[in-house]
Amino acid sequence: MEKTTELIKAPVLTRSQRWRIRLRTLAEVALPPVIFLVVVTVAWEVYVEVRQIPRIILPKPSEIFQRLFGDLHYFFIENGLVTFSEALAGFAIGAITALSVAVLLARSRALERSIFPLAVIIRATPLIVIAPLLIVWFGYSIYPKIIMAALLCFFPILVNTIIGLRSVSPTSLEFFQSVAASEREILLRLRAPHSLPFVLSAFKTSVTLSVIGAVVAEWAGAGKGLGRMIMMKAAELDQVSVFAGIFVLATMGILLTFLVNWLEKSLLYWHESEIVG
Amino acid sequence: MATQNHIIIEKLDKVFTTGRGERQVVALDKLDLRVKEGQFFSVLGPSGCGKSTLLRIVGGLIEPTAGTVTMGNDTGPHDAQRAKEIGFVFQEPGLLPWTTVVGNIEMPLKINRKANRPHQRTIEELLELVGLEAFADAYPYQLSGGMQQRTGIARALAFDPQLLLMDEPFGALDAITRSQMRYELVRIWERAKKTVLFVTHSIVESIILSDIVAVMSPRPGRVRGLVEIDLPRPRTEEMERTSEFLNYADRIAHLLREEEDRGKDN
Repeated sequence: MEKTTELIKAPVLTRSQRWRIRLRTLAEVALPPVIFLVVVTVAWEVYVEVRQIPRIILPKPSEIFQRLFGDLHYFFIENGLVTFSEALAGFAIGAITALSVAVLLARSRALERSIFPLAVIIRATPLIVIAPLLIVWFGYSIYPKIIMAALLCFFPILVNTIIGLRSVSPTSLEFFQSVAASEREILLRLRAPHSLPFVLSAFKTSVTLSVIGAVVAEWAGAGKGLGRMIMMKAAELDQVSVFAGIFVLATMGILLTFLVNWLEKSLLYWHESEIVG
Repeated sequence: MATQNHIIIEKLDKVFTTGRGERQVVALDKLDLRVKEGQFFSVLGPSGCGKSTLLRIVGGLIEPTAGTVTMGNDTGPHDAQRAKEIGFVFQEPGLLPWTTVVGNIEMPLKINRKANRPHQRTIEELLELVGLEAFADAYPYQLSGGMQQRTGIARALAFDPQLLLMDEPFGALDAITRSQMRYELVRIWERAKKTVLFVTHSIVESIILSDIVAVMSPRPGRVRGLVEIDLPRPRTEEMERTSEFLNYADRIAHLLREEEDRGKDN
């Protein structure tokens, strides 16, 4: 008869030892890209300086940062916050709608058969091109931006969630059936948790899409926001401000991606993708 | 031992239609079996003889084409399923990766609650029964294949079903673990006292575990013969070297081979 052994316990580390390991890992992960970024920025600065490239073609990084930090309120609050709110609201609405529709479709095979193929096709089209139409329909307000962002998020999340809900292990499903689980119990206790990795992976692509949606809708017509600001400054040949706007947008994208990554880390502690070594 | 029938299988047919309906495969053909209460009953046969299909029909997971399965209290598989009287153990453990060993074992108690029985084994008893006390809070990915399968067995016993259906539960394990699990199951069964319908393609496994072995032949799935195993209990590893054991193995192998030869003639 086999007697199982205890789980092998990791050696207990002191506080300072733990911190040293954490710092070392951080340095190993973060240092190389930071160094690379600094090198590229310096090379850019030197190149523009030496070749005497005109500011309206390519401004120097130092000028861009000067402009950015000279008027933080203008870039981050007056315009940045507008685009950020549009993107976030669009993402939230798109995600909530997509999840609800997916659950609805999971309950009806006929409905799923008619809608799922369409969703896959629409996901493959550049939906962004309807931005001008949304402006025609909803005016220069923030609504067309939110709708654009929501639409871009909706289809990837819908398709991924349906795939996640459907792809449960046949054995797990058979076990649930063998104790006469109801459809609702199977959905809540098996399909929903199983679909989480699929949902979060769709969230990751969708948060960036939501920013793109908001910006492009602003291009099509807006009173405020980074998209509109970039459009106007480019027309004025103020490339320094254009680059500053791009920098703010990039920060936004990175922030949102980090947010989803954090969500993923805390929800998917059990999933292969999160289990290291 | 009780002599009442627990499962009565009569004239069971199952025909699968494959492709776009152009090909039909007869998985089971007029199959009759009787499993007594408290019996350890093995169904032995080569792959594709319909033994898993038989188990799934008894468990109410698929429908027969014709024939009946009756449980001892005159109910069918679906009633038994609804009353949580059937514990199913599959070839793959099929555990939920997002919850712990305890979470997995408790899962069947959280579904179809109205069929839960008032006095169930506690989680501690179940963990102790399958020897996983030290792994209560471990996640499935932290367990070996054998421990995952033991979790699957505990999960099937959690709601105290009268009948345990086991579909090659050790099929995916390595030979050493497999042999250990065999005696682990002997021990669990001798303590849990359930009717077990056990599907396997291992002759050794079927003899060591069972009271009766039904040898099946493929295409169409039929019972070729029943072999009653009269070895004393508790069964031990030493019995694998006794002459009685070898006699049984011979008889079963003969029944299987007879079938192969017939297959060549056709």
